[in-house]
Amino acid sequence: MKQLVRLAWRSIWRNRRRTLLTVGSMAAALALAVYFLAIAEGMYGRLLYQVLRMQAGHLTVENAQHLDAPSIDLRLSGVPTLRARLQDLPDVAITKELIVGPGVANSGDGAVGVAIAGVEPSVEASLSPLIHRLVAGSYLEDGDERAVIVGAELSRRLDLEVGNKLVLSSNDVDGQLVQQMVRIKGIFKTGSLDLDGHYVQIPIGFARTLFSMRPDEATQIGLLLHDPDQLSTVQRQVAGMIASNQRVAVWPWQKIMPELSSFMKVDKGSNYVLQVIILLMAMFTIFNTILMSALERKREFAVMLALGTSPTRVKLQLLVESVILGVLGCGLGVLLGSGMALATDGISLESIMGGGFDVAGFLVDPLLLAKLTPRITVGLGGAMVVIVALMSLVPMGRISRINVTDAFR
Amino acid sequence: MEPIVSLTGVTRDYQQGEVVVHALRGIDLEFRPGDFAAVAGPSGSGKTTLLNVMSGLDQPTSGTVTVDGQTVNGMTKSEMSRLRLHRIGFVFQAYNLLPVLTAYENAEYVLMMQNVPAAERREKVMRLLAQVGLEGMENRFPRELSGGQQQRVAIARAMASAPALVLADEPTANLDSSTAAELLELMEELNQDKGMTFVFSTHDRRVMRRAKRLVLLKDGAVEHDATPDVLDGPESR
Repeated sequence: MKQLVRLAWRSIWRNRRRTLLTVGSMAAALALAVYFLAIAEGMYGRLLYQVLRMQAGHLTVENAQHLDAPSIDLRLSGVPTLRARLQDLPDVAITKELIVGPGVANSGDGAVGVAIAGVEPSVEASLSPLIHRLVAGSYLEDGDERAVIVGAELSRRLDLEVGNKLVLSSNDVDGQLVQQMVRIKGIFKTGSLDLDGHYVQIPIGFARTLFSMRPDEATQIGLLLHDPDQLSTVQRQVAGMIASNQRVAVWPWQKIMPELSSFMKVDKGSNYVLQVIILLMAMFTIFNTILMSALERKREFAVMLALGTSPTRVKLQLLVESVILGVLGCGLGVLLGSGMALATDGISLESIMGGGFDVAGFLVDPLLLAKLTPRITVGLGGAMVVIVALMSLVPMGRISRINVTDAFR
Repeated sequence: MEPIVSLTGVTRDYQQGEVVVHALRGIDLEFRPGDFAAVAGPSGSGKTTLLNVMSGLDQPTSGTVTVDGQTVNGMTKSEMSRLRLHRIGFVFQAYNLLPVLTAYENAEYVLMMQNVPAAERREKVMRLLAQVGLEGMENRFPRELSGGQQQRVAIARAMASAPALVLADEPTANLDSSTAAELLELMEELNQDKGMTFVFSTHDRRVMRRAKRLVLLKDGAVEHDATPDVLDGPESR
């Protein structure tokens, strides 16, 4: 084995420039792939981080029928007791109560359909990205009565400013038409048309008043986890906890926000496919180099076979050469790509992109974020090493058909 | 004494376009331990083909080849490799050293293939390199050696595993006359001192004269098989 590796190592370095070019091309292609995938992963992570904090969280406990037919009357009761038990689960970081229902925002200048979210201001203060997106006024506080924060687009359409009055109309839990006058406390601007134009937040206490709910009622309890990878485990624990009540269900965020989940899956998948296509194009050049390097040594392989080296061992040498090239190129590529990702992690693009941008209706910070995962580094790097190793199969086949006596002529 | 190589009714035909070339035509030969035999003849007489068939690098079209008691006909590639690895040493006209290995590593190559322990390898290879006059040149790569020195390394490589037979295809063809003479002396010494069997092809009369046995080929058939004295006859001049 030692001799095999020694022969392979020295053979690949006999043409130093060609080897450096091969390794360099492999490294450059993989570095770019690692970099772009890490940036995409970082963007998904940040998107999810922000969306989940603004919405219910990683897991949502709600009325079992609410998901299929969202209606304010499909609510939870006994919320404080259940919430306390959920908060005791070791993997749960934060719990929050929410009341979410449809409504209409009216002013003298018109009416716009909105999603009304009743939130706990003190909990949201540490979570919601909206707080950092206020362009006028201030965020809600516990104990606020008849206060609302609205998006910049909504305030523009209804011609409203901080301090102006607004009427929220909806149906309460009994189906009765209800209306409440509120005063704008803050205006946010996220860059997302959905949020800026059709989303309002009010204190949860006032939401109970608006929707005629009891103090122990809410539409949802949201759970944010310490480690998102524990989602399935915690979901099982919560399901066990609520098993006795058929009217209550626990859903992961992917089920609550299927459009976001689908977007991420499709975008991630297409991104991987694109990167792999680019990599394979680069690999084709590398394949050519490996093949040429083997074929120009026909005579040398013939000598080895004549001396009694088994054909398998000769083929193994080609495999080891490819593996060494693969490990060098891919290792360097992963290191470079990771370095680039880490170096640009956290760079703000605010000057280019403004305050944020909209992805599938959700808000993303204008930050260049990179997240290196084992799938990107070890997975992609390893897969490329395997592909490069598999490339040696063709030269192996060609060398195994060498006619030794012809090669000596 | 049992022959090391025995060829019985060996023919080898090649297809060259539309024409069939009869490279060997019914060769019957035996080489015994201790032979120092030259296979000679004009270009195209079948010298190289004969050596290739004897070593299992080429298969005869008909007839039987036996090496060290094993019939080569019908052997698989792996079986042939094993036979060559353990029983046959090669010296090529163009030296054919592996360019990425040093003189020491080239000489050691066959022993490593045979999984000989490192200490034993080292002792053998160092002794052999000294014997072929390459002491102190162990770490030189082939490109740093002269033609004669490279051929010495090739001889050391061929001898390293103490094979039953060393086949040499025109071993002196690329060497100047004094280097060629030195090399032949070395091969003679090994033949006399170690009893190593050499069969080499040549068309150099000076080389033929130093052989103990001369096999002359003409058009793929054995024309003469005896001592090289025939070269002194009037018809050979």
